[in-house]
Amino acid sequence: MSIIEINNLTKYYGKARGIIDVSFNVEEGEIFGFIGPNGAGKSTTIRTLLSLIYPTSGNAKIFGKDCIEYGPEIRQDIGYLPSEVFYYDNMKVIDLLKYSASFYKKDSSKRINELAEIMDLDLTKKIDDLSFGNKKKVGIVQGLLHEPKLIILDEPTSGLDPLMQQKFFDLILEENKKGATVLFSSHILGEVQKLCNRVAIIKEGRIIKVEDIKTLQESNYKKFKVEATTGLDKGYFDIAGVNNLETKNNIISFIFSGDINLIVEKLSEIKIANLWVEEPSLEEIFMHYYKKED
Amino acid sequence: MNVFLKELKSHRKSLIIWCVCIVLLIAMGMTKYGAFVKTGESVEEMFEALPDAMKGIFGFGTLNITEVMGYYGIFFLYFVLMATIHAAMLGASIISKEERDKTVEFLYTKPATRNKIITSKILAAFVNVLIFNITTLISSIIIVGAYNKGESVNSDIIMLMGAMFILQLMFMFIGTGIAATTKKPKLATSISTGILLFTYMLSIAVDISDKLEKFKYITPFKYFDAKILISGEGFEAIYIVLSVVIIAVFSSMTFIFYKKRDLNV
Repeated sequence: MSIIEINNLTKYYGKARGIIDVSFNVEEGEIFGFIGPNGAGKSTTIRTLLSLIYPTSGNAKIFGKDCIEYGPEIRQDIGYLPSEVFYYDNMKVIDLLKYSASFYKKDSSKRINELAEIMDLDLTKKIDDLSFGNKKKVGIVQGLLHEPKLIILDEPTSGLDPLMQQKFFDLILEENKKGATVLFSSHILGEVQKLCNRVAIIKEGRIIKVEDIKTLQESNYKKFKVEATTGLDKGYFDIAGVNNLETKNNIISFIFSGDINLIVEKLSEIKIANLWVEEPSLEEIFMHYYKKED
Repeated sequence: MNVFLKELKSHRKSLIIWCVCIVLLIAMGMTKYGAFVKTGESVEEMFEALPDAMKGIFGFGTLNITEVMGYYGIFFLYFVLMATIHAAMLGASIISKEERDKTVEFLYTKPATRNKIITSKILAAFVNVLIFNITTLISSIIIVGAYNKGESVNSDIIMLMGAMFILQLMFMFIGTGIAATTKKPKLATSISTGILLFTYMLSIAVDISDKLEKFKYITPFKYFDAKILISGEGFEAIYIVLSVVIIAVFSSMTFIFYKKRDLNV
């Protein structure tokens, strides 16, 4: 069963574009990455799923139920960590967490203490006195304390130091092992690469690709760097399948996907001084999605 | 229930401050009355000599300020002003503060309907407004009683406080209604108090100029005139109806608009 099912979801803020025709499914038990640059529409999609805002058209289902109509009911099993955390400043951490827990049917006091220990969070402090990173930790505990079936994370790692990031990732993986489905939005590809099974790439409000993270990496993308002995026309390598073509001091670099022999043939016809062929990072693979329409 | 209790708690401090202020205001006002009475008739003559416009601005009208209830009746206007400012600000901020402080992503992603959260918040505001009213009532009875030498005035005070409560509710719902409708949560409190001050000014203008007589229906401050209330005529039906309509309109506006609109995150 699909945990999240988004169908042609469109949101305009007045005339300003939010998201256009977004569709994808998140299956039970997976960690699904949601990748795109800032302002692409990740938060808009997530806020619509949580019915903080209402779609202009299209719909979304969570646990098979319409996310607007059954919003309060399905939110019983959703844990949400927003990209920026803001809480009631004059509350103590423990009071805020208890307040949060009071909305859910189950008793979460034990889980609060467990999570606080893992995240190394002082429960007796006032929210106001916390650093940005510590507020984020409150957010993490707050989002997980009711052991949700669906965890929605919107750029969760900003403000966390690397050690805490690792602990946080472990925590998410553990929840996932226990059966939770995760929607993980980020503009940092490295962390998505580490955690996710599949990703949706969003750009300027539209989904441009939904793919297995493995396929993305394995789909025969190669990064070429060619140093020519003589001045070489950049256009020489401008064939189908070539992306991110750049020239710098006689060195031409590009990313290629397709029949590798085509490039080898091209190479055999010129004199080269040096050649590098590398596995591109996800960043570089995605770069051409982002750049395409510039 | 949790939202209701949390709101009560977070407004406790400000409510205490408001209540202390109103008690001090009453106490100070009535101390002045003590001094007034001693100077006797000359004061009355002085006020009689004032032009009608001035009387209007200070809210004197036909009340006899050397009588304790007459004096209290003038002060009543200031209690009402304070109480309604409190109610309007409270109503506006209790709804809009979640957006202003960016806590919407916390509260409205919880498994509770917006209606339920709004209901709890309005109930909490209602309790605050009620406590403020009762504080004013009790301190008035005690302090006015100390200066009263004639017959009991408690029933008059209770009637005035009843009127004040209706005014408080009206402005509380005007506050929540505006907070629920406006797209700029930071402005909700300013707009609500702005409306309040405008209608207050209008009520003074109506007092001063006969030409503005017909505007008395659009300013709640003209609905409950102290001198009419305590002269034994009591409440006028038309104004009670108008009050109920205003409360009904703004409270349903609060629920309908807040439920339908995008929250500012």
